[in-house]
Amino acid sequence: MRFSIYRYNPETDAAPRMEECELPDSDIAPGMMLLDALRLLKARDETLTFRHSCGEGVCGSDAININGRNGLSCITPLSDLKQPIEIRPLPGMPVIRDLVVDLGQFYHQYRAIKPYLIVHDPEPETEYLQAPEERDQLDGLYECILCGCCSTACPSFWWNPDKFRGPAALLQSYRFLADSRDQATAERLEELEGPYRLFRCHTVMNCVDVCPKGLNPTKAIGQIKKLMLKHMA
Amino acid sequence: MMWRASGFRAWLLQRVSAVYMAVYILLFMLHLAFDAPDSYQEWRAWMMLPFIAVASFVFFAMLLTHAWIGLRDVIIDYVHPVGIRFVLLALVAGGLLMLGVWVLRILLMGVS
Repeated sequence: MRFSIYRYNPETDAAPRMEECELPDSDIAPGMMLLDALRLLKARDETLTFRHSCGEGVCGSDAININGRNGLSCITPLSDLKQPIEIRPLPGMPVIRDLVVDLGQFYHQYRAIKPYLIVHDPEPETEYLQAPEERDQLDGLYECILCGCCSTACPSFWWNPDKFRGPAALLQSYRFLADSRDQATAERLEELEGPYRLFRCHTVMNCVDVCPKGLNPTKAIGQIKKLMLKHMA
Repeated sequence: MMWRASGFRAWLLQRVSAVYMAVYILLFMLHLAFDAPDSYQEWRAWMMLPFIAVASFVFFAMLLTHAWIGLRDVIIDYVHPVGIRFVLLALVAGGLLMLGVWVLRILLMGVS
């Protein structure tokens, strides 16, 4: 099985390069995921650097660009991939080494939407109550694992990663706007106003295309715009 | 709620103008398809009906607004150096304004 892997060590390399490498077919078992292959490749060349942790699509640390598409290597079956399998770091982010990128800007945008409940009333004596129907509003939003596949696939985020919140942060913003317990709707909407933070989204929908959890940030962004319309009236 | 900057308003105007233009163009085409004017005089008279004239004026106002927001979006996306961005925005605004004056002249010439 053939691979073409992006290699770059800023301390020693003048420029990034693509490295061709191969694994004998005898090493490939049926049902193997791309992460398993990367582990085998690392066993042969331990300088190959990539992030990974849980190995089952829950932690979101192994997001990379696979044959031109962002995805999680641990839940991408090798058998689905065209060879040579081209592996690159997430696009548009500064490369720390090989497949490891600096997601600082991504996290900055996430923090900026205040990803926690804001309540102005005095805190209740017991737990916050929420009807099942109200809880249902959070389906399709709370499942995000912040892997960064969507935001780093978004052209608007490529051009303005410092000002545009990006699909991941906006999906989370709507997750709190939609939460019946949150009381900061007006503040949240006002914070997103302006030409950049929300409105750089041009519904390209790359985010929807690549999300490994099958979520729909574009729809969430549309819901935020609808909420703005309601609050205008 | 105060909307200081131009994100939401621009987006809303883009949507509203798109809907207006779609309806106007559809009705305009239907008119041409089923009740086409036979002569230039007839066409002119139809265009000068107060309702049609006002609708056409609004159409071009919407078209220019729509174009301004769209081109502004492209420039905000891709052109980051403040100086070049300012020059480009000024050129686009100037060009669209000139088109606006031209449209206005044609529409008003018909009235007089």
